[in-house]
Parts: sequence; C-alpha cells; structure tokens
Amino acid sequence: MADRRLDLWGELAAHAARRRAPVSLADVGAVAAGSAGLDGAWVAAARDGEPAFVMCATSPVCEQLAELQVTVGEGPCHDVLVQAAPVLAADLGDEEFGRRWPAFTPEARHLGAGAVFAFPLVVGAIRAGVLGAYRRSAGSLADRQLGDLLILADTATILLLDSLRANVTAADGGGAGLDGQPPDLALHRAEIDQATGMLTVQLGVDVAEAFARLRAYAYAVDRRLADVARDIVARRLRLHPDPAPDEL
Amino acid sequence: MDADLLSDTFVELADTMVADFDVIDFLHLLTDRSVILLSASAAGVMLADPRGELRVAASSNEAAGLLDLFQIQNDEGPCLDCYRTGQPVTATDLSGSGQRWPQFAAAATQYGFRTVEALPMRLRNQVIGALNLFRGTAGPFDPPTLRLGQALADVATIGLLQERSVRRGDVLAEQLQGALNSRVTIEQAKGKLAERLGIDMDEAFTVLREHARNSNQKLTDVARNFVTGASLDFPPAPRPPAARA
Repeated sequence: MADRRLDLWGELAAHAARRRAPVSLADVGAVAAGSAGLDGAWVAAARDGEPAFVMCATSPVCEQLAELQVTVGEGPCHDVLVQAAPVLAADLGDEEFGRRWPAFTPEARHLGAGAVFAFPLVVGAIRAGVLGAYRRSAGSLADRQLGDLLILADTATILLLDSLRANVTAADGGGAGLDGQPPDLALHRAEIDQATGMLTVQLGVDVAEAFARLRAYAYAVDRRLADVARDIVARRLRLHPDPAPDEL
Repeated sequence: MDADLLSDTFVELADTMVADFDVIDFLHLLTDRSVILLSASAAGVMLADPRGELRVAASSNEAAGLLDLFQIQNDEGPCLDCYRTGQPVTATDLSGSGQRWPQFAAAATQYGFRTVEALPMRLRNQVIGALNLFRGTAGPFDPPTLRLGQALADVATIGLLQERSVRRGDVLAEQLQGALNSRVTIEQAKGKLAERLGIDMDEAFTVLREHARNSNQKLTDVARNFVTGASLDFPPAPRPPAARA
C-alpha cells in the first residue's frame, strides 16, 4: 500500500538529482504536474490563513493563476486554507464555480485553465500553505491521481514548514531535514499529533513550532518520530524550553 | 434494546442535510450508538484515504491502545480484509492459537478484546471504510445484532454519500480529507489539554467533547480554536493537585 509513496519519492529524488540539489518544493511542483497529467503546479505559503507568497511555479501561467488569487483575495487556494481540505474544481465552466469565485473564475479561464485543483499543506491546526495545480481541459482527477497529489502534498508540507523555519533551525544548529526519506504524514500515528499538542504547553510555543521541535529532536537523537512521540505521550520524556546541549 | 434510542439513531444518521454538518461528529454518533445498541465494548470507524491507507476517523473510546488497534490494521486485521472484500469479517476468540492475523490478535488480546467484527461501509460498488465492533468476551456477535450493526453502517454510509450526491462527486473526496485532517487537529488538542490539565488522552477527549456539546459548537472547531489559542475561555484552569488525588 505504501509503495506508491516510495515510487513518488524516487521520482522526486531523481528530479532533484538532475538539478544536483536536495529535494525542494520546485521538484514537488514538477512531479505533481507530471504525475497527474496536469499542465502545471505551484506552491504558495500561507500568512494569516491566506495564500500570501508564491514559493514556486512550474510555468508562467501557474504563476499568474497563483498571483491572481492573492490579488483578488478569492479562489480555490483560499478555500483550501479555510477548510483544510482539498478543493477540486474539475470544471471551471460549471456555474457553481462562477458563483463561488466571481472574480477568480473568469480570469482563470481567460488564462486557459479548465480545471484547478488545490491541496492543503496542513497538519491538523498547522496551516502552512497550498499546493495548486491546473489543467487546460476540464475533468475530474482519477483516484490514482488524487492519491498521488495527496502524497506529494504531504511532502510539500514538510518542505514548506522547514523552509519557513530555515533561519530558526540553522540557529538551533541543525534542521530536521528529510534525510533522504519520504515524509510519512498520512501513516503517522495519533501519538505524533498528541505529542505535538503536549509540546505546545511544555515548550510554550505555537503548534507549528512544537511539531518542528518534535521532528528536530527525533532527528538529533536519531530515533523514529513515532517512538519519540510515544515516549512523550507516555510521559517518559519531556522537552524543555531551553534546549540542553544533549537535547538538540 | 432501547427502541426509542434505536429509532432516534436511525433518524439522526439519516439527517445529514443540515447546514452545520460535521463528518467527525457524525461518525462519533455512529460509534457511540453502536456500543450501546449492539452491546459492544468499543466501536470505531476507519475511512479509506486515496493515499492508499485506512485511517481512524472516530472511535467510541479514545484510549491510545484502541487507536493502535486500528493503526495495526493497515498491515493486517479484520478491518483491512473487510475493506478489501466489501464483506463483513468476524474474528472470534482472539486469544486462541493459530490466529489469521497474529499481530492484530496479540494486540487486541493485550487490550482485553476477544471478539472483533468489521462491517463494510458500502454503497453499491463503492466501499468508503468499515465499522469495527470490539467485545471483551469470546464468541461471535449474534446474527440479529450484526444485521442491526450493518443497518447502522448502511444508513450512515448513505447519509454521508447523499449529503454529497446533491452536489459534485468530488465533494466526497474533499470532505473525507477534511475529516481526516480534523482528526489530526483533535489529537493535537487532546495532547495540549492532557498536558495542561495533567490528565490522560481519553479524559482530554471527554473534556473537549463536553465543551463542544455544552457550547453548541462543532468538536472540530473547539479543537482548532484551542490548539491555535484563538479561544481564551477554554479550557478550565488546571484542577488543584488535592482534587486529583
């Protein structure tokens, strides 16, 4: 069942290797567009619950579609962040979407988009951003394509959270990078989320920072994230606001 | 059998056309009523994720052990077989030898369960997940109980799908993903509350849920506002140590 995740990670790694660079959001965008027969994809980071910064785009049209939503303040990427759920606008010619986004829809169609699909880059209450994609022709995604895009959105979530926090992790003396492994958000256990919530109190930080600190700790002590989380939930392990040298 | 509760449950499970419909609250209703009406020790719903996994959406009991039992079933177990075949799957006397699902049987036994039944949540050819029933005694659920359990699962499935059939088919995928992320938010909120009040995860869930009910809010909204700190009047201050002794 998890094989598809590894296949996609292999594609991401191969794409990054051709650029002689670590896997980045740009690779996710390119693989997302290619894997689902789409015409382009982009990633936007969120600020105050809105898609505020376009981090990467696979084509000029994508960039325009992403920026259009920032400009008019509506569109699938906005709704994704409100609902923390995908928005699958498979036919922008459908009057439902014209009513839903009266400013975005005609402009997007003018740019040549027949379908726009947007996926939340979220972990529970953490709202990092949006993975957007478009196709010139209208039509729903096949189940397989939907699954691929959800897996790629998981990867983009971790990459985006890390890039938004890059300065902080550098100051901490090391990040919780992907370490050559596909991030596995969907298969994660409830303990990881519970431990994240516990750390907001133990460390006095917001939920995104708590999740980052949990991952950074697991990386620093070379243990599996789920095992560290389980120890925190069982109250065998506490993290402290001022990291001791042996802790980070 | 409480006939009033039974008829109320069918009405509530069929009534998904309301404006403030919340998938997680709805599935908790299914699991809670399944426990009462079917004389189960615990019940849970797993939903299919297009990423290729089954994920816990709701459980009558939020103890970590029970959530583990669902998680294990991504490798083996009655729920996985039920989802793959679209047919009910029974596991009785899980403490015996020669188990069909050794890893699952060992974990279930450890948590005090002897019998598990997985009922498909299916409409025509589409299987969206499964309802799991757990019981502490050996021996199968009797046939009338299973028929009732399947009826509850069926009406809940129809309720979920009809809510969307009036709109685009894609809405099912959107809302199930939203529900699965709500589950993550609820786990984060449980952790924050458990740490703040010095209580366990099951108790934390009860406090969250009581607050949602008493303030007439969706569980998902209460959890999110609490995790992000948007809600300042909740939760109650930590109990003094003396009161918890």
